[in-house]
Amino acid sequence: MIELRNVSKTVVSGSAPLTIVQPIDLTVGAGQYLSLVGPSGSGKSTLLGLIAGLDVPTTGSIVIDGTDITTLDEDALAKLRGRKIGFVFQFFHLVPSLTALENVLVPLEIAGVDNPKDRAGALLTEVGLDDRTHHYPAQLSGGEQQRVAIARALANDPPILLADEPTGNLDSANGRHIIELLQRVNDTRQTTVVLVTHDAELAASADIRLRMHDGAAERIDRVPAEGAE
Amino acid sequence: MSFVLRMAARELRASWRRLLFFFLCVAVGVSAIVALRSLIQSVALTMTAESRALTAADILIETGQPWSEEATVLIDEMLAAEPELRRMSSVETATMARPNDQSRTVTRVVQLRGVEADFPYYGVFELGDGLEYDHSLLAGGGALVRPELLTQLGLSVGDELLIGEGTFEIRGVIYREPGRQLGAFSFGPRVMVDLADLEATGLLAFGSRVERQLLLQVPDDRIDSLVTAMREPLRDSYARIRSYRRTEDRIARNMSRAENYLSLIGFVVVVLGGIGVWSVTRVFVQQRVRSVAILKCLGATSGQVLAIYVVQVLALGLGGALLGVAIAALGLAAIPASLAEEAASVTGIGEISYGLTTSAVGQGLGVGVVVSLLFALGPLLEMRAIKPLALLRWGMVTAGGWDRAQAAVAVVLTLGLVALASWQAASLDAGLWVCGGFAAIAVVLHLVGQGLVRVIQPLGDGGRFAFRHAVLNLIRPGNQTRVILLAVGLGSFFIIGIHAVQANLLGAFALEVREDTPDMFLIDVQRDQTDGVETLLERELGVAPRLLPVLRARVTGVQGSRTTLDSARDVRQLGVGREYTVTYRPELAENERIVDGEFWEAGTTEVAEVSVEESIQERLDLVMGDMLRFDVLGREIEARVTSVRTVDWDDTQSGGFMFLFRPGPLDDAPHSFIAFLQGPPDTEGRARLQRDLVAGFPNVSVIDGLEVIATIRRILDHVTLAITIVGGIALLSGVLILIGSVAMTKFQRLYETAIFKTLGATSRTIVLMLILEYGTLGALAGVVGSLGALALTWGLTRYLLEIAWNPALLVNLAGLVLTTLVVGIVGVAASLDVLRKKPLGTLRAE
Repeated sequence: MIELRNVSKTVVSGSAPLTIVQPIDLTVGAGQYLSLVGPSGSGKSTLLGLIAGLDVPTTGSIVIDGTDITTLDEDALAKLRGRKIGFVFQFFHLVPSLTALENVLVPLEIAGVDNPKDRAGALLTEVGLDDRTHHYPAQLSGGEQQRVAIARALANDPPILLADEPTGNLDSANGRHIIELLQRVNDTRQTTVVLVTHDAELAASADIRLRMHDGAAERIDRVPAEGAE
Repeated sequence: MSFVLRMAARELRASWRRLLFFFLCVAVGVSAIVALRSLIQSVALTMTAESRALTAADILIETGQPWSEEATVLIDEMLAAEPELRRMSSVETATMARPNDQSRTVTRVVQLRGVEADFPYYGVFELGDGLEYDHSLLAGGGALVRPELLTQLGLSVGDELLIGEGTFEIRGVIYREPGRQLGAFSFGPRVMVDLADLEATGLLAFGSRVERQLLLQVPDDRIDSLVTAMREPLRDSYARIRSYRRTEDRIARNMSRAENYLSLIGFVVVVLGGIGVWSVTRVFVQQRVRSVAILKCLGATSGQVLAIYVVQVLALGLGGALLGVAIAALGLAAIPASLAEEAASVTGIGEISYGLTTSAVGQGLGVGVVVSLLFALGPLLEMRAIKPLALLRWGMVTAGGWDRAQAAVAVVLTLGLVALASWQAASLDAGLWVCGGFAAIAVVLHLVGQGLVRVIQPLGDGGRFAFRHAVLNLIRPGNQTRVILLAVGLGSFFIIGIHAVQANLLGAFALEVREDTPDMFLIDVQRDQTDGVETLLERELGVAPRLLPVLRARVTGVQGSRTTLDSARDVRQLGVGREYTVTYRPELAENERIVDGEFWEAGTTEVAEVSVEESIQERLDLVMGDMLRFDVLGREIEARVTSVRTVDWDDTQSGGFMFLFRPGPLDDAPHSFIAFLQGPPDTEGRARLQRDLVAGFPNVSVIDGLEVIATIRRILDHVTLAITIVGGIALLSGVLILIGSVAMTKFQRLYETAIFKTLGATSRTIVLMLILEYGTLGALAGVVGSLGALALTWGLTRYLLEIAWNPALLVNLAGLVLTTLVVGIVGVAASLDVLRKKPLGTLRAE
């Protein structure tokens, strides 16, 4: 569960303060699917960074699964991310010197999981890459790299998956494939998914849809958590 | 932990090629340390093991004077109580040898030693033609000689040799001899004869420079107590006593000192390598920013990330150090057998087996790993500042700037280096000096580099495209210019500096060997030979040089108004106890000036008068009228100090004497004469003069100054070569750092080149850009090295050597050009594949 109370972010650029995220209150329940849409520079990536604990809000508190992360130090945040949060980025961000399998192994090894190789292999199979396990990122297509990134994000079965423009660097067919994969993760694992995108169409199927503009978030509509039917 | 190790291993798999230069930087320095240490330890081991053979006895008593009555009685008394004792005598002197063949003109100074039948108690001779040493080879007019004498005189075994008034048959060649004084200055090659035969040559006349030795063999447990008991009483009769253990100690001490100081040179090379490590790590960290951010995003703590890279550094440091050990092993194995033989024969010891020693390997590995870690830690700490947030934006941020941890690392680095240097030199002082000196040179080079970069900065604004971009590459943010300047500049400084110093020294020699400088020295001319020698010299040279009377004397007491010294022992404590060569004459020499008192009129006196040199006056705090007591070969003479002189020691025409007597009281004392003369310019004439002198006066030694100068020049050449090799290693480190820097920045360069190419730059333009960039860099490094060399030679010549400063512009210019060429060629060659890559591929990959 994600809970934001009066969260805002202001940076000082030159001499004038610039508010990137206007104060926002937001609750995303366990297993919900949230989409953030808006044009470039509207503050959606910053908001995602705040939720992930990668950045510190200027005001307000962020509670992830009962823990107020604004009070944690860097290392505690890193540990929390390792257990509770999975990431998918626009630029994939795989470690270039590691194979697909090893990239998936990293979070498992950090967490000290037993038999990490079996689990990493299973995850790669789950995203349809069982024949690419020993390839390096440079040897994979963009869509394949992003699927490795999703497998890596799911490695420790985190309750929350954050995706920052995951289709931004892919063609539409590959992009659709990735969105379906995220949807499936949300459905089958009951993982809370936060998707940042500027494509309103991709965001359509989300439970909660927020549109951001100049740092202000506006709720587009609301769909009951238990489904429409 | 297993995560850290596994990640480190995986990262190494991918990055070891980029870090290859890290590896090599460490390896070069470690190989220098291990090789130098192993080499000296091997020699020291062999030498201490043979220290008894080097002395040829358990105890050695020696004196530069004929045994006095007093000393003989004392020795006999003290040794009478020893139940198990063997003793024998030996005598050594420098003299002239020539073939027994009137038609030959060649003569040579030799180091002649006469021994008795028992010689040696310890050690063995190694003779040519598989001959076994036996005293019968010497007895009855036999001689064993060093092979070089045979070459110099054009003789072979079986021929006859004239020495003094004796004729000797050469019965064998000495390759190795026991009882050789290590490090003792030797005028010429060894000739070994029977003691009785030597005495019959008439060479042991009064006044000759003869070293007399008494060799003792006693039970082991008596050695130390005997030496202790006899030392003080013997000293008063001017004899020295020591046991072979003292030789052993001295060898061990000298060797470990040599080892430690040489290792410091290796240490400096390691530190240079460390700078390379620092520079490689810095760029490496910049390239790992994304990976680090990803790891942090996936839950790795800063500590874990740091640990992953520290493990890599340790592994690379250890790998580099192991490679260094391997290089050292190859280097030692590559020492030519001939060199090892020469070393063995020069030191007079048996075969030296060179090999790696455990302690040298241990130290090399330790230094390699620690230096890697110390230098890599600073850049690695920057990884802690990498924020995973960067992954959400394309622009990568590396938070630079100093924080407390980095300041702490800087302190640890400094302390660590001082500790390492002190450990290597086995002295805190030396460690501090080396680190301080190194830091000072580094800071100066750094500042000079910065200044030079600033000087060329305006050039980036105008000029042609290629030149403008070459300059921009040198001054852009994150450039490697200063690091390369430091490393290459230091190497070129070493090499240019040492050659400039050599040029200065040789220049000073050339200056001293002027047209009118004496270049031949006659010693041991006896009183009844003076007329004959003068006549001969006048006939052959056209001028009669003046023969100077010389006596050997010691100060044994002072009765002065400010100083009173009763015994020779008191005098010794003021540092004036040694034996001086003194003379007498009625007038001042050209190189002398009176600074106090009054010089005597012509004529003789009954009461002896002495004129002392300034430094003696200062040491003994003398005033005019003080009385000095001298021991002149056993005769006691009291002399009144009547004047103080300064002597211009650079002017060797008239020699220089600390004590000058008024003619009179010393005229009848036993003494010999010496002469400074200018020999014939041609080799043949010189040889003929030497031959005629020695044929007429066999006890007279003729020393050819030109040969001495040639010898000094040869030694200087060797020293220069040795230091040049070390400088070469330093320059090699510099070049490695250069290649490393080029390789590390290649990724950025590839991208830029691709853009330039896309925009229409031809390969020629890009090559020109590279040439200009590295040529400029090389020229700057050369200027840095050259400036350093100029400062070094100026300081050395002015304050240490006290000779005229010669800027040696040619050496500097050659160094500058060579450095420019080396850096230019290496830089361009290392960047060539940038040219071959097609721009499209590069741009796509980005």
